[in-house]
Amino acid sequence: MAEETKFEPRIVAFLCNWCTYAGADLAGTGRNQYQANVRVIKLPCTGGIDPLFLIKAFERGADGILVSGCHPGDCHYNSGNYHARRRWNVFRPLLEFCGINPERIQFSWVSAAEGGKWVETINGVVDTVRALGPFEGYQKINAVGSDASGEAATSGDTG
Amino acid sequence: MIEALRKKAEELLKNKTVDVVYGYGEGSVPERTRPVFITKPEDVNKLTWNKYCVYNLTTYLKKQESRKLGKPAIVVKGCDAKTITVLIKESQIKREDIYIIGVTCTGIGDPPATKCKACDVNTPLIYDELIGEKIGNKEFSFEERYAELDEYEKLSEQEKWDFWQKQFEKCIKCYACSSICPLCFCDRCIVDKNQPQWIDPSAHPRGNLSWNVTRAYHLAGRCINCEECQRVCPADIPLNLLNKKLAKETEKNFKYRSGYNVDDELAMATYKEDDNQDFIK
Amino acid sequence: MEKTLKKEKLNSLITGLKDKGYKTIAPKKDNNLITLCEIQEADEIHFDHVQTNNSIKEYFLPKTEKILSYTIEKTKVSIEEPEGFAVKSVVFGSRPCDAASLPIMDKVFNWDCTDKFWIERREAITIVTIACDKCDSYCFCTSVCLAPDAKQGSDVLLTKISDDEYLVETETEKGEGLIKELETVFSEPPSGTPDRQVATVEKKFEIDKVKPWLDENFVHKIWAEFSTKCIGCGACTFVCPTCHCFDIVDECTMSKGDRVKNWDGCQFKMFTLHTSGHNPRSTQDQRWRQRIMHKFKYYVEKFDNILCVGCGRCSRVCPADMNISEMLEIISTDEGQPEPVSKE
Repeated sequence: MAEETKFEPRIVAFLCNWCTYAGADLAGTGRNQYQANVRVIKLPCTGGIDPLFLIKAFERGADGILVSGCHPGDCHYNSGNYHARRRWNVFRPLLEFCGINPERIQFSWVSAAEGGKWVETINGVVDTVRALGPFEGYQKINAVGSDASGEAATSGDTG
Repeated sequence: MIEALRKKAEELLKNKTVDVVYGYGEGSVPERTRPVFITKPEDVNKLTWNKYCVYNLTTYLKKQESRKLGKPAIVVKGCDAKTITVLIKESQIKREDIYIIGVTCTGIGDPPATKCKACDVNTPLIYDELIGEKIGNKEFSFEERYAELDEYEKLSEQEKWDFWQKQFEKCIKCYACSSICPLCFCDRCIVDKNQPQWIDPSAHPRGNLSWNVTRAYHLAGRCINCEECQRVCPADIPLNLLNKKLAKETEKNFKYRSGYNVDDELAMATYKEDDNQDFIK
Repeated sequence: MEKTLKKEKLNSLITGLKDKGYKTIAPKKDNNLITLCEIQEADEIHFDHVQTNNSIKEYFLPKTEKILSYTIEKTKVSIEEPEGFAVKSVVFGSRPCDAASLPIMDKVFNWDCTDKFWIERREAITIVTIACDKCDSYCFCTSVCLAPDAKQGSDVLLTKISDDEYLVETETEKGEGLIKELETVFSEPPSGTPDRQVATVEKKFEIDKVKPWLDENFVHKIWAEFSTKCIGCGACTFVCPTCHCFDIVDECTMSKGDRVKNWDGCQFKMFTLHTSGHNPRSTQDQRWRQRIMHKFKYYVEKFDNILCVGCGRCSRVCPADMNISEMLEIISTDEGQPEPVSKE
């Protein structure tokens, strides 16, 4: 159990149903442990992940985000991940241009067979974001104006 | 040039080639012009052309009120003409449904607009009739095209954040940026959708950040750099920097420049198997 | 009460206000904008402008404001109302047109529902206006029964009488109180008649002719002709000191949320969209007509005031160069009979 003073990052992972989610599942059935900072959101395909989802995650208090799907060529819908990759190629620099550290939004390809890679990837994200510290910039703007969503996020409603 | 423009407009209206000419007319002060919609041949003297013709009139192609006037001829500068290429590509208009009166332009605004600095479309790339002497279009390097971004790109992460927070703080959420944009043609904008409410409608820092980032992102690989959003912003937010950043990334990663070639695949509607993925684990 | 204020005393005035616990809001230059915003020192104040880009309205009706917060726990809903939103302040150096917008809007905010946010701020904020010594072609205060040195809404009115001196006139008890609080900053009024430097604003139209025309011409081709170029952005309504429409939204999660009041404007097509999909003002000419009708007919009928102070901001800011005084000029000189259009 972490000490109260120690910062534990809150990571939101947007995973595709067919590859990475299955990969994370495999890690689970294989009893491979990974850090519990991650909240997984399962979606059909990375091609359907609107960048607004990522902004919303920050608005709800995420310190870091992982978006992960099938390796190129493996998409269940043939080309969803290729389209997603195009978008990330421009969205990531846009956020960086606005002063958001790109390390806070990471991307990976993890297949259904790569339970080990999942563990490694998510541990990597958690460690990187832990080192970066809390996303203070966003927390500040979450608290301004209307503070509801920011508070809800930091009080940790597990639903 | 004005005479040639008026003559062409008169001819088009008389021959009933078009029902209306979207052009520039005199504004309320000498330093301004305004969009005019000429439907009668005898009114063509209302058309004008000068360095204050800043508007990108193609924005009226998306408006039901102007479309109601019938088949348009539209006066476009080189930058504006690129919009038409995108609109055709995105199936918003058909080439044969509009008549394009291209005007050669050596820069507008006083002081000249930023977009005019590295302008490589003094002569429009697409037109039915060209008004003014044809100018050989210059060529600029990748670095020259995006030179205005340099001073912002080299800021530290914190400086960038602070800079944009200060800019977005001014936003009053009037949405003039998207209303004027000829490529923001959705009947219902994401910001108007509230189930779920993706973008907070309030003009507080959180809502302003998600709005301004989303507006820019929805134009990724599409914006043709007419700078209209920035011109109309009552809060003086340098919106075009965001657009330009996205254009730069699109060109860098996909070798695509919006509005230059009607045969190019739209950058964000296609992909290549070997697209850059060096940031993906 | 009459006094004078020397420019060299501005520093003492602003520090004096701070010492007495006032927040000071004044015009300040920020890049290409002149903004009414909070200032700390007299040096920050910008004088040499016709008009600030933002209006005084946002200090009484902010662009976004929380009106309550709520928490839902099982079956219990608890509501928390905001406090401390009215901060004792002075708006220094706003224009007479801006100040005049306040008593006009008092009527609507004290109408069937009294708006405590507006009313408490009105009590907390003192308005020190500087009469205009210059104007531009967009100004038309004199056409709407005001003047570059109009007193309506100001607690204190400053008028330039020389390059470094203002005549100070108090218009209300609140203004008098403020001057008394900072008595040492002000000098005695000059003997004789001071040379008031006030701009001459050209009268552009006869306001008396506007309402009768509007009464007759709800249907007229001019609405569409004039507004084809309107892009429906709503910037005019947001910069307007008298446009006061707002929207109320909840920004919330499952268990808690804020009820927020945000500016809204009649120029947006969503403004009147019904849930059913029907939109009573479906085209831009209807929305443009609404703006004119509300300002020069409906508000007059309801509250006996024109809802326009002639500041000209809407025309300055309009991306398509729609000019409201030009429209009113056309209206006030139109002699023709109503010209119904076939489709409406």
